[in-house]
Amino acid sequence: MIDAMDSQILTLIIFSPLIGAMALLLARKGDDAGVRGGAMFFSLVTLALTILALVLFTGQSSDDVPDQARFLLSARADWIGGETEGAVDIGYRVGVDGISIWLLVLTAFLSPLAIWSSFTAIKTRVREYYILLLLLEVGLLGVFCATDLLLFYVFFEFTLVPLYFLIGIWGGAERQRAANKFFIYTLAGSVLTFAGVIYLGYYTYTVNGVFTLRLDVLTDMGQGGLIPLNVQWWLFLAFAAGFAIKVPLFPFHTWLPLAHTEAPTAGSVILAGVLLKLGTYGFCRLSIPILPDAAFALAPVVAVAAIVGIIYTALAAWVQRDIKKLVAYSSVSHLGFCMLGLFSLKIAGVSGGVLYMVNHGLSTGALFLIVGCIYERYHTREFDKIGGLARKMPWLTFFLVFFTLSSIGLPGLNGFVGEFLVLLGAATSGSTKDGFAPGPLGYGYVIPAALGIILGAVYMLHMCARVLFGPLKEPPNTPDTSSGLSKDLTRREIAILVPIALCCVWLGVYPRTLLGDFETAIKRNILMGPASVTQVDHPLPPDAVEPIPEEAPADRAEEVVKLDTRETLSRAITPTRPSSDAPAFLAASRVEHPADMEMRFRGCACTDLCTHGGRTADSWRVGQQ
Amino acid sequence: MTPETLDTLKLCGIVILLAPLAGAILAGALGPRLLRSHAHWPAILGVGAAFAGAVVIFTQMRGVTEGATTALLPVYDWISIGTNSIFRVEFLIDPLTSVMLLTVTGVSLLVVIYSRDYMREHDHPERGYERFFAFLALFVFSMCALVLGGNFLLLYLGWEAVGLCSYLLIGFYYGRPAAAAAAKKAFLVNRVGDFGFGLGIFLIYLTFGTLEYGAVFELVQQGLTGTGQALSDGRITTIALLLLCGACGKSAQLPLHVWLPDAMEGPSPVSALIHAATMVTAGVYMIARCGAIFTASATAMTVVAVIGSVTALFAATIALTQTDMKRILAYSTISQLGYMVLGVGVYAADSAVFHLFTHAFFKALLFLGAGSVMHAMGGIIDVRQFGGLKRILPWTFRTFVIGSLALAGFPLLSGFFSKDEIIHHALQAHPILGIMGLVTALLTAFYTFRMVFLAFAGPERIPEGVHAHESGKWMLAPLFVLSIGAIGAGYLGVAGKPFHTFLAPVFEHTFTAANPAAHGAAHGAAEAAHPSFWAHYGLMILSGALSIIGIAAAYVLYVQQNWIPGLVKATFPRVHKMFHNKYFVDEIYDAGLVSPARNAGRVCVGLDDYLIDGLVWLATAIPRAFGYLVRTFQSGLLQGYGLSMVAGIAVVVVWVLWA
Repeated sequence: MIDAMDSQILTLIIFSPLIGAMALLLARKGDDAGVRGGAMFFSLVTLALTILALVLFTGQSSDDVPDQARFLLSARADWIGGETEGAVDIGYRVGVDGISIWLLVLTAFLSPLAIWSSFTAIKTRVREYYILLLLLEVGLLGVFCATDLLLFYVFFEFTLVPLYFLIGIWGGAERQRAANKFFIYTLAGSVLTFAGVIYLGYYTYTVNGVFTLRLDVLTDMGQGGLIPLNVQWWLFLAFAAGFAIKVPLFPFHTWLPLAHTEAPTAGSVILAGVLLKLGTYGFCRLSIPILPDAAFALAPVVAVAAIVGIIYTALAAWVQRDIKKLVAYSSVSHLGFCMLGLFSLKIAGVSGGVLYMVNHGLSTGALFLIVGCIYERYHTREFDKIGGLARKMPWLTFFLVFFTLSSIGLPGLNGFVGEFLVLLGAATSGSTKDGFAPGPLGYGYVIPAALGIILGAVYMLHMCARVLFGPLKEPPNTPDTSSGLSKDLTRREIAILVPIALCCVWLGVYPRTLLGDFETAIKRNILMGPASVTQVDHPLPPDAVEPIPEEAPADRAEEVVKLDTRETLSRAITPTRPSSDAPAFLAASRVEHPADMEMRFRGCACTDLCTHGGRTADSWRVGQQ
Repeated sequence: MTPETLDTLKLCGIVILLAPLAGAILAGALGPRLLRSHAHWPAILGVGAAFAGAVVIFTQMRGVTEGATTALLPVYDWISIGTNSIFRVEFLIDPLTSVMLLTVTGVSLLVVIYSRDYMREHDHPERGYERFFAFLALFVFSMCALVLGGNFLLLYLGWEAVGLCSYLLIGFYYGRPAAAAAAKKAFLVNRVGDFGFGLGIFLIYLTFGTLEYGAVFELVQQGLTGTGQALSDGRITTIALLLLCGACGKSAQLPLHVWLPDAMEGPSPVSALIHAATMVTAGVYMIARCGAIFTASATAMTVVAVIGSVTALFAATIALTQTDMKRILAYSTISQLGYMVLGVGVYAADSAVFHLFTHAFFKALLFLGAGSVMHAMGGIIDVRQFGGLKRILPWTFRTFVIGSLALAGFPLLSGFFSKDEIIHHALQAHPILGIMGLVTALLTAFYTFRMVFLAFAGPERIPEGVHAHESGKWMLAPLFVLSIGAIGAGYLGVAGKPFHTFLAPVFEHTFTAANPAAHGAAHGAAEAAHPSFWAHYGLMILSGALSIIGIAAAYVLYVQQNWIPGLVKATFPRVHKMFHNKYFVDEIYDAGLVSPARNAGRVCVGLDDYLIDGLVWLATAIPRAFGYLVRTFQSGLLQGYGLSMVAGIAVVVVWVLWA
């Protein structure tokens, strides 16, 4: 029973909102209350299932098995081709690790809140609205669960459709332009990603004779150095095209402010809270582990784009006149931090980046909810028209100040922990203290990024001062309480914001709840290759610092290659840890065709499988030949 | 220390943190509905419990006669990554912590008691009685976290959290645009300082691989980095200067002092507690705590000393021309903080902490006294609008004079002893800075009594429509207690110097050991053992005389011959204008930093809307143009299709034939 639960729970989670959406189709026309209740009920069911999955996941992952599979709670079904026969093996494969399980929880947590927040705001086409919200949730949950790249891509693209309609139908005045821009912008990028996906599959075919897009196999290949740098380079660019637009990374961000401003509140919450994370998640799940050398080589470029974006969009946010647009720009700025952390390629930085995704989902999601509360009452979001609301709306003031503080990284709340780890990762990227190879970034990247922290406080406090403080200023005939709202927040609105606030405090005070899972996942699935690096040239004095403990399990510790080259540090090749259900061909290819592999990387003066050289300019040229 | 002592200390630390926090939450949560006008009780009880905890810690530390006087008490792992990067919540308790805790919780308790009446009768439309006490208790929690923290990350936590409380309390009367603007300014200027401070902390981690005080300081003293290499001078100087940025922000030193005068928009008890007695001293505390880092770099120490003395003099000149009592006091706070920073900069950290301690009493007293005046004058605090209040507010007047005498360094009051010590050390280390300190002392006495005479002496003048009255006992009691401190606290630093002896273990390996002046004195040990009368008392007599001259000058100028200030003002209009407008620092910042940044923001938006979106439009224009081009051929007219078919066939035929 429990075992069956283990393998089916993710599928249940992904499709439970779909079932909800179909059930809503049955609702009588005009039964808006029933539709709302039904949507709320099904999203809560999804949340309950997700929490169950979290419990199951924790139970499984706490068994400290060294050879554990990359993804737990996994299930699969053949789709195109099959695992046992044929040259194509693309399947419905789902599974989670310590990173995706928490993003899954975030999605399932925000969705009911987004649905609940729409109760008074949405008055037209109510049934269609909730159906689309539930469909959107299906896509998001699917992305985080998918462990087959094609499935990932299908869900990734699927999210566009419901959101397109949500913005285009229930949005503001310029909703159609915003929806079109959003759709075409992101689609244009992800088409290139799709090309990359197909090529990656084809590449596995040329290496192994099987066209597969299994994430674990691809990760094994990438980490094992089976993908030469030139291939990695192009694939990285192709993936980045889709993901960078989704994040959005400067300078591909111009769709976001418009989309956010025009989207209905719930759309903004899901867009900022979860959808943007698909981009960072893609970088984290695909680009970094499968294309480690390209990620390393291009990390400075990504980091510079991220930092420019942090400062650029922070300045832009400061001069906005529309609250929602300000928060939208702040989103871009924040995700720059997230990218900086991911591309420090350090445990601290990547953990920080992933935590930042969760934090940003909570605090920016909440900020959008609050902006929605203001808009519902005043029908405007312009600084020039509203002000001094603190006098009239103490609850709203409390929450807006609270989430502002969370967003600007006040220690003790969630934002700080993520920000600290991101900057710590970037600052210590060059060191080897965490037992990993030196990353591509360094202290120099922290200085401008830290400038972004000042600017973050500048524009957020500017907003608070304009909206909350000073003399009261309201447009005529407001606040509009016609749809059952009160002057200050209603109980429903408070009940939506309180759980988010509690999460913010919890993550600020005891972030280890998540960090432990992230760390395991990062070591197992994201940065595992470099874990077996040893430092040769700088023996540590025994009394100055404690030596780097060997964290690698025994079987990997043996593989540690001590290099005596001039280079102070280099990455040793770890034979990939075979996943428990790894297909035979992968192991076989390594055993039976070592000569082939050497041929492939001929010209490289290093070891047989050249990842170490893969980071030098030389082998980049070799790869191009 | 015995294990039992350690357990007691840890328990006290937890109580000191959690009691005010619980008070804050209770006051905030139950205040609006349940407690209403009793909302001060959770805060008073919480802060009282914290004070009790601080007293217990102090007695425990006094009881330690041998062995280490430092206890590091881990509570739980806060942020941990791998096995090498673990950041704990941990307490560091040593005599310095103990003194700071006593000062902070003690003054806080008095201020909370004072606020019971002040906030109630000082009626305002924001119905924020419970909000005030919640914030005040939250402040006590944050400040104690700052002081108790055993690593740089917790220091940063406390550092930001007190900044937040300061923000919330400055902006307490949020309906006033000036208050909202001042709150924002305070937070942002502090963030600028914290930018450097944060970078310093990252550099510490990068250099030493840990953020725990003890481990970092030990490595610094061994001259090693975390990987066992030699620590370069440049690196340690950079770290010290970055940390100093934070101190400049929090302790309102040049060039980041601009927020403190504006912070006086907050209620007076807040000015007394946060912006005079406790929070603003955090920078001094931090430098004293990080003595190992600062003393490792002579350059950094010189910079610290220079910043301190220049700030002291600079702020004193501005205070000469201000007319708002609270602003005069604010500039005097900046000036006194300058003394403290000067003190740590000339290796006299114990004297600096001593001055911090005495200053907490007399400056809190002065601010609370000013609050009492403001209370009586119906919210007016400008000395041009009232005068001669000594008969209307007899008790406020008396306590205020005691505080002013202490601030002015009048002989045998607390400020006299502590300030004198700092100037003494400054003269030894950098004679010029010492002389600047003496000049500042003269100015301090003058501007302080200028304020006293303008407000309390002369004929009675009261703003119209104000019912002036002496404050009630809840407000006067704290004034009496603080007066006792303002008179007596200085004697802890003379005759056997119990205060300095208590602190000595903290500084013996840092400031004391590194002090070049002390090494010089060791050579002339015989002379040091039997100093001549003038070497010993000369400076005391000089500074006492300066103080009396300053007070006398103020008396002459503002009571007897009060036409002189006008004449001076008319003779040197430019100097007056420069002092009165605070050297135009705000205007310079606005023109040099804020406006350009806003403009840069506008440029960014413009780039987004035109350049980037233009490029995107261009990218989409190519397929669109292609579409337009092809559309003409898809007109639906059969003739057209026929024509193109014929043309196509012709091309194929020609091509085949030619090939």
